[in-house]
Amino acid sequence: MSLSFRNPFGIRFKLVFLSSFLLVIPWLGYQYILEMEQVLRRGQEQTVLGTAQALATALNERPELFNEGSYTPARRSEDLYVYPIFSALSLDDDSLVDWGEYQQYEVMFGEKDQTRTELNPSRYYGADETLSFRNMVGEHNGSLYAYFKVIDDEIVYRSRDALSVHRSDFLEITMLSKEGNAINRYVVAPHEPEYLYPFQVQDGYSNPIHEDRISGQWYESNEGYEIELQIPMDMLGDRLGFAIFDVDDAQKRYVETVVSTYRVADAERLGSLRLPTPEIDRIVAGMGHNNSRIQVVDRSGRVLLSVGDIQSATGVLLTADPDEVPSNKYWLYVQNKILNPLYYQFLTKPSNDFIDDLYSDVSREGAHINSALEGEAATQFRTLADSETRLLEAAHPILANGDIMGAVVVDQNMNGLRTFRNQAMETLFNTMLGVMLIVTLGLFFSASRISSRIRGLRNQAEDIIDDTGRVRNTIVATRSSDEIGDLSRSFSNIVERLTQYTNYLENMSSRLSHELRTPVTVVRSSLENLGLTASNHESAVYIERAEEGIKRLNLILTNMSEATRLEQMLQTSEKEKIDLVRVLPGCVEGYKLAYPESKFEIDISEQPIYINGVPEYIAQLLDKLIANAVEFSYPEQPVTIFCRSLRDHAIIKVSNAGPYLPEKMKDRLFESMISVRPQVKQDQPHLGMGLHIARLITEFHGGKIGAENRQDREGVVITVVVPLFYR
Amino acid sequence: MSRRIAIVEDEAAIRENYADVLRKQGYEVQTFANRKDAMAAFDIRLPNLAIIDIGLENEIDGGFTLCQALRSLSDTLPIIFLTARDNDFDTVSGLRMGADDYLTKDISLPHLTARIAALFRRLDVIDQPPTPESLLHRGKLTLDIGRLTIQWDGQPVALTVTEFWMVHALAKYPGHVKSRQVLMQESKIFVDGSTITSHVKRIRKKFIQIDEEFDCIETVYGMGYRWNITPETAN
Repeated sequence: MSLSFRNPFGIRFKLVFLSSFLLVIPWLGYQYILEMEQVLRRGQEQTVLGTAQALATALNERPELFNEGSYTPARRSEDLYVYPIFSALSLDDDSLVDWGEYQQYEVMFGEKDQTRTELNPSRYYGADETLSFRNMVGEHNGSLYAYFKVIDDEIVYRSRDALSVHRSDFLEITMLSKEGNAINRYVVAPHEPEYLYPFQVQDGYSNPIHEDRISGQWYESNEGYEIELQIPMDMLGDRLGFAIFDVDDAQKRYVETVVSTYRVADAERLGSLRLPTPEIDRIVAGMGHNNSRIQVVDRSGRVLLSVGDIQSATGVLLTADPDEVPSNKYWLYVQNKILNPLYYQFLTKPSNDFIDDLYSDVSREGAHINSALEGEAATQFRTLADSETRLLEAAHPILANGDIMGAVVVDQNMNGLRTFRNQAMETLFNTMLGVMLIVTLGLFFSASRISSRIRGLRNQAEDIIDDTGRVRNTIVATRSSDEIGDLSRSFSNIVERLTQYTNYLENMSSRLSHELRTPVTVVRSSLENLGLTASNHESAVYIERAEEGIKRLNLILTNMSEATRLEQMLQTSEKEKIDLVRVLPGCVEGYKLAYPESKFEIDISEQPIYINGVPEYIAQLLDKLIANAVEFSYPEQPVTIFCRSLRDHAIIKVSNAGPYLPEKMKDRLFESMISVRPQVKQDQPHLGMGLHIARLITEFHGGKIGAENRQDREGVVITVVVPLFYR
Repeated sequence: MSRRIAIVEDEAAIRENYADVLRKQGYEVQTFANRKDAMAAFDIRLPNLAIIDIGLENEIDGGFTLCQALRSLSDTLPIIFLTARDNDFDTVSGLRMGADDYLTKDISLPHLTARIAALFRRLDVIDQPPTPESLLHRGKLTLDIGRLTIQWDGQPVALTVTEFWMVHALAKYPGHVKSRQVLMQESKIFVDGSTITSHVKRIRKKFIQIDEEFDCIETVYGMGYRWNITPETAN
């Protein structure tokens, strides 16, 4: 016996499975967009490098812009170097923290910078060697900022009632006036750590007048005190100097030590202010509208100038076209609530809220800058550690007289490109989803249609032949012109011919019996005539034998047409309400007479069992079953007739003890011309019509008939199930 | 004078066999192979009895047509269908056409001659007064065995000869169950049980046409039929 494996996947499943290969298309689209992104990135790289190059070209051959060495922190000079500061500074925060990295450029003033002034006419070397300060000057937003970290062992504040401003620790600011013809001096001498209240003083610190344009704070530190101040740039002339006056004895209040940023406080010898060149500013400002962060660094990597911030430096203009914004709020909802969360499972959406921790307004370093400072323009990509953001950085050298003066660094973040890519992806995925949805649904429906048509055809095909193998229905040929229609038509054709053939076969026995009847009659009437005339005793014997044979032939013919005749009669018979319990015992009495050698056992319900039927046919049915049972019964074994109602059916069982039925024959037993009798038993003609007639009658009553081998002993039980009378 | 019997049968061997037997019985026999010849002869002179096959040469129902034509010529002419067709429809339609008997070709020649004799006897005695010994009374039922006629409550019941013998077999011993086999023997026909059933049904119908209360023929399922005597008539 071969194992049959039934493929559980129908056409629908297969088609849907095949259609899943469509998923390759969005993948290809995805790859294409990634490729496109690469190209765009290269484009952006070139653009950025181009920007850097353009700027560098503008700055080329202007060595004065870089003024080699002027910014070296170690250099000691009377000049004050004003660093560009790119963040706002707070003057009232009690600390210098906000100066941040700029503090690295502070300059130390100490013992060597002690100066003799009119307040300490004799220089006392070592009077207070500890006095020193560190100073840093920066420029931000039109103001000069400076701080002083003063180391002083004894802080002496101005007494509350003192009118003079020079008899305590104080800071003196000396500057050339804007016009450049006078020297203005300002003194900051607080009563205690407080906000600055500076005075402008004349010679000899006389006539102090409050100057409110200078602001700042004085506060104490561990080693001394710190001063932070702000001076508007428009107050300043070209030269500027600071001096710290130290008083250590609170009683005497003599100025003991002065440390200053200058040697002599006159218009010629005061240190000059070195401001960032506004020319670079202008050149860079001209380039500043291109969505980049641009910095100019000198040879040591210090930032000379910075324009733009990296967060908005996307490089790509991304203002969405207002016409393209979908106005349908449902679609917007779907897009925002369903699709986008899905897409951004695997797409990264970088935020513009990132921090470039390697960035500094003060000094920059990196491979690209190193490369640029060696004369080679370079770009690099950098991924920020805390976010998905990638930065594109380009550096281009600035040349002057064949020397590398510095480099232009142009930075852009890649978020713009990424956003642009994401938008492309969204559009692609939306389109793909739509297309795939339509294609998949279409495929599913067409597959469903096809499979339902095939199933319909299969059901029709299964309905053609009933359980008993008879052709009952036919296939209705469809008119559709496709292959299934063809199949249906050829099926219909086959069934039609099969029906004709089956009809021919089914009617053959009755037609045969009809056709045979005439020659049989010829033979019989001739024999009878012969019998009437024959005088010879010997020939009379043969005539008798011949007549015997003819009689048997006649019986066969009658039996052959019995089924056909019965079917014709069944068509015209009318059913009535009958009680099986009354019909069956009468029949059994008859069988006791008809088969005196057999024993019959009755097991019939005492309650009436009403069915809708024709009593004669029921009797005929029982005749056939009993005849069959008696024939196959072992001698001395009873034939049992059982009848009960079970739920809404009446059950009649006729069982006999006898040889088992062959398994294969159980179902075919009730077909026409089927007999399981052994050949030796054929002393009477049998055509296998008996049980066929039994089935016809059972089906006429709307019931079912079946044969089973008995479980309790060797034998066969035939069961007839007929629905009860119901009205 | 010998009676003339016409046999209309397309099968020559059968036709001649029957003709031979009947001639030996002393009848004068005419044989015809088809309806046309038969009608031509009947137009000239009617036979005393016609034995007709239903299927005649290429006319499937030629016998029925011939029967109708004959019946239109004479109301009393006995007509017997002798045919290979043994289904109910043909039997019923044959008898409805006015045939006196419907026999299948299974019938043996002696049976056939007995039937013919019975039919002639009925013709002979139809005008003679019934003799008491030939009458059988069972309640409302009166059987005239001599004429093969039956009366129910004084009204004649139009039974065929086969049906007469069946009623006779049943009514002879009221209360006794007669199996189908017995009925077949008594009525001298050889058919299967279901034909007996339909015969009995037809007999019942014929009685019920006269008397709606008729219920003397009782079916004993599985065994056969019996004649019931209604209580009033038994008394």
